Amino acid sequence: MSSINQIPVIEAKKGNPLARVFDELVRFCRSRSLFILHYCTGCGAIELPPAMTSRFDMERLGIQPMVSPRQADILLITGYVSIKTLKRVILTYEQMGSPKYVIGICSCTVNGGMYWQSYATAKKLDEYMPVDLYIAGCMPRPEAVIAGLQQLMDSIHAGKANSWEDYYRNYDYYLGNQQKLFGDNWQTPTDVIAEAKHYNLLSKGTLGVHTRLLEQHQQPLEALEMRLGHNLKEPTE
Amino acid sequence: MAPLELLLELTLMPLVAFLVGMMMVLMMRRIAARIQRRVGPPLFQPLYDIVKLHSKQTQVSHGLIHDIGIVMAMGGYIAAETLLPVPGMNGIAEKGGIITLLYLMMIPSLGLALGVGQCANPNGSIGIARALTAMLAYDIPLVIVIFGVAYAAGTTNLVDIIAQQQAGGFATWGAVQMPLLAVAGLIAMHASLGKQPFEIYIAPAEIATGPMVEMSGKHLGGLFVMQCFQLYTISVLYVSLFLGGGSTWFDFLLKSFLVLAIPASIAYLFPRYRTEDLLRLMWKWPVMLGLIGVAFVL
Ligand code: SF4
Repeated sequence: MSSINQIPVIEAKKGNPLARVFDELVRFCRSRSLFILHYCTGCGAIELPPAMTSRFDMERLGIQPMVSPRQADILLITGYVSIKTLKRVILTYEQMGSPKYVIGICSCTVNGGMYWQSYATAKKLDEYMPVDLYIAGCMPRPEAVIAGLQQLMDSIHAGKANSWEDYYRNYDYYLGNQQKLFGDNWQTPTDVIAEAKHYNLLSKGTLGVHTRLLEQHQQPLEALEMRLGHNLKEPTE
Repeated sequence: MAPLELLLELTLMPLVAFLVGMMMVLMMRRIAARIQRRVGPPLFQPLYDIVKLHSKQTQVSHGLIHDIGIVMAMGGYIAAETLLPVPGMNGIAEKGGIITLLYLMMIPSLGLALGVGQCANPNGSIGIARALTAMLAYDIPLVIVIFGVAYAAGTTNLVDIIAQQQAGGFATWGAVQMPLLAVAGLIAMHASLGKQPFEIYIAPAEIATGPMVEMSGKHLGGLFVMQCFQLYTISVLYVSLFLGGGSTWFDFLLKSFLVLAIPASIAYLFPRYRTEDLLRLMWKWPVMLGLIGVAFVL
């Protein structure tokens, strides 16, 4: 028993038995139908096409690629994340609908990998958003990717893949790390604190020094004005 | 007919359509997988997808019209199912006729246009513009084909059309009597499925699935359900017009799955047309074939 997760905990079963059956069905379907959004940041992305196409065929596990964050369940980060990319990754992550899962593929997402000394990459992905699963390797083979996805499926089925709640519970910590990289006036279009309240996940770590800093700098979002030819300049000749 | 019996039929027909439609979705995905030498999704994959999408914790709605649009998209097809006779159940097919059915089959696209409009996503708007253009492209041959069949049968009542075809066995099938119309109908049907090479409005690599780009959770789930109904409606309509409907459930289902397998196996072999190429193609070949076919019928 090397980790605390392996110690069996007997949970008291209570509640409506019908609701339990329903929850089980939902968890099963969630684990069997995963739409992935592959944000191909680094070289590890090259191992995804074989995992999806005829050689290894992810679709037989119910895993499909999707193209927009709204539709997706899994955010696949495939390789090093530069600081500029990380902003986009965070925007994408916040737009996805929960329950959402993040998988970091490649060693570079674990600890910076061979870009450890680079000034331009974010080293540890889980300082900026909760990561459900890392698949290490430089780069991991498709078998490893699929094994990792199966592990994720198992933990979704067991109801343990809840790291998305962590983002709401410890928003202050994640925001702090983001502010350290992007500067004090970093802000995303998503109101994470309001969402945390909505999901009843507001806890000690949600609000803190960094969220107060955010409030100071936060500017209300305005809808973009719809205008044709808004910034089309006439050629000056 | 007793009102209770009618009520039962009106509930049963969409339900059957949904179940059969899910199997059709599975079949299309399996065919795609086989063509690409993959294994393909498991048996209940369409069900898993729909249940999962409806059970997402985040349900982003962009407003009332967004919700109503999805309901219209599904509702249009659900209403269409009650006008499509299946073995043993006619629903209100005798009173409706094909013309009502054609109108009902346009409602989903319009509903989608309304719903996507409120999302205010440029990709979605482009997608919807393309979807309506595509509808313009395939509806003209479809209307010509349906006019031809109705003229030949002398009625717009789908139940009578099926009965006339079943009267003389194989030789009186629409596909045997009017082969040109049947071919034109097949092309128009393929285009209305929105599969490659006619999937200009989904185009994942280009406009990020167009109308579906802002959909999440149960809205996307609703569209998945709509797709089940769409496949069912289109293939059953074709079977009723050209392949003599079904006298038993077995040959009814066999025919509708076979009809759907034709576009499905063509679809994954070709890349996508551009919008104007699609218009040109649809207004040239199926329309020409359809008009010649109609000339034979007249
Ligand atoms: S771990 Fe290796 S393969 Fe993956 S992103 Fe880093 S350098 Fe590239």
